[in-house]
Amino acid sequence: MYGDQGFTIFDLQLWAEGLGITFGVFLSSSILGLIFGSIIGLIRYYNIIGIGRVLMLGSEFLKNSPVLVQLFLVYFGIPALFTIDLSPVEAAIITLSGNTAAFIAVIVISSIDAIDKKQLEAARSFALSEWQILRLIIYPQSLAFAMPMFVSLAINQLQVTSLVSVIGVVDLTRVGDIINQRTFEPFIVWPIIGVTYFVLAKLVERIGARLEQRFSVHQASSEI
Amino acid sequence: MLDPAVMMEYMPAFWDGFIVTAEVSILSIIGSFIIGLLIALLRISENKVCRFAALFYVDIFRNIPFLVLIFFAYYGLPEVGIYIDAFWTGCFTLSIAVAAYVAETIRAGIQNIDKGIIEAAKSFGFKRVQIYTKIILPIAITSSIRPLGSVFINLILTTSILSAITLGELTSASKIIASTTFRPFEVYMFLVIFYGVLTFALSAVIAGWHKYLNRYNEA
Repeated sequence: MYGDQGFTIFDLQLWAEGLGITFGVFLSSSILGLIFGSIIGLIRYYNIIGIGRVLMLGSEFLKNSPVLVQLFLVYFGIPALFTIDLSPVEAAIITLSGNTAAFIAVIVISSIDAIDKKQLEAARSFALSEWQILRLIIYPQSLAFAMPMFVSLAINQLQVTSLVSVIGVVDLTRVGDIINQRTFEPFIVWPIIGVTYFVLAKLVERIGARLEQRFSVHQASSEI
Repeated sequence: MLDPAVMMEYMPAFWDGFIVTAEVSILSIIGSFIIGLLIALLRISENKVCRFAALFYVDIFRNIPFLVLIFFAYYGLPEVGIYIDAFWTGCFTLSIAVAAYVAETIRAGIQNIDKGIIEAAKSFGFKRVQIYTKIILPIAITSSIRPLGSVFINLILTTSILSAITLGELTSASKIIASTTFRPFEVYMFLVIFYGVLTFALSAVIAGWHKYLNRYNEA
């Protein structure tokens, strides 16, 4: 069965499916990571019931250990400890969301810190509620500040999704591995997979640049 | 139930894995620093072709996942008649890939240098090569110790991916321990904490070193 089977039209289909899985894992873990990361960042900022520090310590470990090991921890460790079933895709999305959230939390905190404290004092003396301050003053400005960091994080996390192939998710990298094992054509297969990731990254960069431009209008007020 | 003591018995195997991780990391840090320095110099060169080639290099290696690069090297090199083991394949691929990040960091360091210093050196009659070796590079590198440190810490974390090409480093060793003990949660939790503590300690050392080397700068 092995070796020199040549490429078939089904390889193209496999490539497209892998691309879809990679994109799906990337998109869902980015969105979940953004939501949870923002929540963690806000809990830390308002220091709700003192769990902010614990969450940030957890984030530090997620930021400072290999994503591959985190994947193993979730995919092999959690089902063994709690005797539950996790599919590779579920484990992949849980791990990458958690990892993204850890980075997002730190970005959120540093971009809130970047806001001029006088603005918050002024807002409080105008008797704005904390919710109004968050929505009208903190949110637009910190988002403008955070956008470039979000974009470079997204490009990085896109590459990190390739690791999910190791726990058996049939993403772009796994498709490359499957086709490579069958055809023994590493010089055709891997450059194609590499270029696909490259183009995806450039696409994310392009969209990110547009978002950056759109949100940067909120930064004008702080420069006056 | 959770059994934190499970790792104790397997410390020798864990230590062996750590040694391999340390060896790959040190060799790749040296390799990526040398290649990165060359790319950084090409990146600021006056020759348009050199600049473009360096930019292309950086762009390629920063936008393609390391796992794809390592599979390409691991399966591709034997096809062109280069037979090296997983260890050296890992070292070379890591050096080449991380060099892209090193180059960008050093380039940023070079471009942050006060132009007045370079003009002063020129007016003192320094030669072009001397300006680079005695003025530009020492300043650029000492002022970017901290960002270079985080690039290299990332490199150490990336060595875990070499377990995918069967190199027996920390992650591979832990995988074996996890499958012998049937205690994957404890083993991988231990590994996450181990990597975390290792990188905290290293970044503390780097931050201290950075502060010491830049003690005469106001910033």
